[in-house]
Amino acid sequence: MTIPGFIFRNALRNKRRLTLTVLSVALSLFLFTVLQTALREMSQPQLSEQSALRLIVRHKVSLANVLPSKYQSRIARVPGVKRVSRLTWFGGIYIDGGNFFAQFACDADALFDILTEVTTNPDQVAAFKKEKTACMVGIKTMNRFGWKIGQKITLRGTIYPADLELTIRGVYSGGIDETNLFFHHEYLDEATGWHVVGCYWIQTANADAIPDVIRRVDAMFSSSSAETKTETERAFQLTFLSWFGNIKLLIGSICTVIVFTMMLVTASTMSMAIRERTREIAVLKALGYNGRQIFGLILAESFGLALAGGLIGCVGTRFLAQNVDMYVLSHGFFVRFEVTPHIVAAGLLIAAAMGVVSCLAPAIASVRASVLDGLRELD
Amino acid sequence: MDQPIVQIRELSKVYRHGDIEVVALNSVSLDIGRGEFVALMGPSGSGKSTLLHIIAGIDRPTAGRCVVEGTEVGDLSETELAAWRKQHVGFVFQTFNLIPVLTAFENVELPLLLTGLSARERRDHVEAALELVGVADRMKHLPRQLSGGQEQRVAIARALVTDPTLLVADEPTGNLDAHSAADVLVLLQTLNRAAGKTVIMVTHDPKAAAYARRMVHLEKGELLNEK
Ligand SMILES: Nc1ncnc2c1ncn2[C@@H]1O[C@H](COP(=O)(O)OP(=O)(O)OP(=O)(O)O)[C@@H](O)[C@H]1O
Ligand SMILES: [Mg+2]
Repeated sequence: MTIPGFIFRNALRNKRRLTLTVLSVALSLFLFTVLQTALREMSQPQLSEQSALRLIVRHKVSLANVLPSKYQSRIARVPGVKRVSRLTWFGGIYIDGGNFFAQFACDADALFDILTEVTTNPDQVAAFKKEKTACMVGIKTMNRFGWKIGQKITLRGTIYPADLELTIRGVYSGGIDETNLFFHHEYLDEATGWHVVGCYWIQTANADAIPDVIRRVDAMFSSSSAETKTETERAFQLTFLSWFGNIKLLIGSICTVIVFTMMLVTASTMSMAIRERTREIAVLKALGYNGRQIFGLILAESFGLALAGGLIGCVGTRFLAQNVDMYVLSHGFFVRFEVTPHIVAAGLLIAAAMGVVSCLAPAIASVRASVLDGLRELD
Repeated sequence: MDQPIVQIRELSKVYRHGDIEVVALNSVSLDIGRGEFVALMGPSGSGKSTLLHIIAGIDRPTAGRCVVEGTEVGDLSETELAAWRKQHVGFVFQTFNLIPVLTAFENVELPLLLTGLSARERRDHVEAALELVGVADRMKHLPRQLSGGQEQRVAIARALVTDPTLLVADEPTGNLDAHSAADVLVLLQTLNRAAGKTVIMVTHDPKAAAYARRMVHLEKGELLNEK
């Protein structure tokens, strides 16, 4: 037997308690990692390199305000603008509200000149461009609903008073978000008769042109009825995501509460485990174990226990996230769900801290207790 | 007799609880030589355990001196005391106090984990100690799989394995039936006679004390003249 062996034996003493404690630590760290990952996915827009060249022009007041469609040709003439497309959030319902995915009305001709990072079949894109009621769908959404090329689907309008019947003419894959559906803006205009645009999507010629384009576009409409705010795709997504600000705070608080509660649970387990060993600890002292060694034994046991729970919880979540399609599970809310090594490390750190803190009080008490008091303790 | 291994001079231990004073030991002076087998006797509450605890370095006197092999035990810090106990004292308790989750072998190995011995050396020492107390065949057994007498033998092996200066035992036969008690006492006697171990044993049982070479009587914290 070795010292680690002895610590291990001590930990295994009460197997049911050990299992329950490790599992509760694991569970709390599972919740922690899931929540932290959700938080990260929500607050970090996923962008590709190409998207760095893209700008979004929206109404200055808010995302809910629309822009006139006549802006398009004026934006297209701004120096530095390579391509421009209308981009309007349709927000329709497919069968029922649980089937969320994003749908955009756009300029079919310009779409894939702007969205360059995705992979498409040229024949499908050609078919999509030709037909007004055609749409292009991301591979994830295709798989999610088991759709086939040529299939007709109906999107019930929620913002717009129109139901759209679309024919799937093509699939795209790659890029950051493989879940979107794109269809002809003309179809939306006809179906509603409104001729309004949510945003304009600009592909700039090069990164150097960006500040100039932003300035010129916003200046161009500064005295019109619908002033614009032009920003990079990243900035735009951050604005969009800042709506979740309160959710972030909420998740942060939940994490704190979970960690705190678990700290109390492990602390009570450890103090129970140490308390019932008071006499044995006194015997160890009589045999020549000093305070530091006793402290080390207790600390190592508690630390190991918490870390075991942490490993199961954090690494387990990571493994789970890699093998479960969170996109389907979250009904399209999370496009990606990556439990990063960073989050795993943070979780393990918390577990380790939990292990240390939870045994501190009883460990110090048993170091301080006199041998005689310990020996007098009844088993 | 050469230089005594334990020198006790005017040793007192007083417990104070508010206004009430309990004098557990009152100015006790005693020498114990190397290779002695001393039985500390006396009625309940006479201070036998207190004296043994001070000699063994798990309690401190209120006044007086207790020098073991040239070291004033009461002057050591807690950490120094632990190291001192590891080297000089082997404990045998009335209730055996084996660690229930460890086998006989592992219990005996416990004090050796603090030394720099290799696993091989530790095994040799443990096996020799278990052999000496006659429970080598029960090495792999857990305490609850042993009889009381066997448990106490394992505990004695654990006390011996570091080859300490003193073997101290507080009522080592108190929880044993007459037969096992006799076995344990014969074992202590053999360790004393054949291996030259210095043994200090607290007992209030004259039959047990008879195995010792020398009897020291305490009464109300005071040492009676030796007979
Ligand atoms: N922690 C303590 N606080 C107060 N008094 C104590 C304490 N420990 C021991 N005593 C007292 O000191 C005296 C001697 O106790 P000790 O345990 O040495 O007796 P003993 O001879 O070993 O008795 P026994 O044969 O019953 O074990 C007793 O009167 C006891 O009540
Ligand atoms: Mg006693």
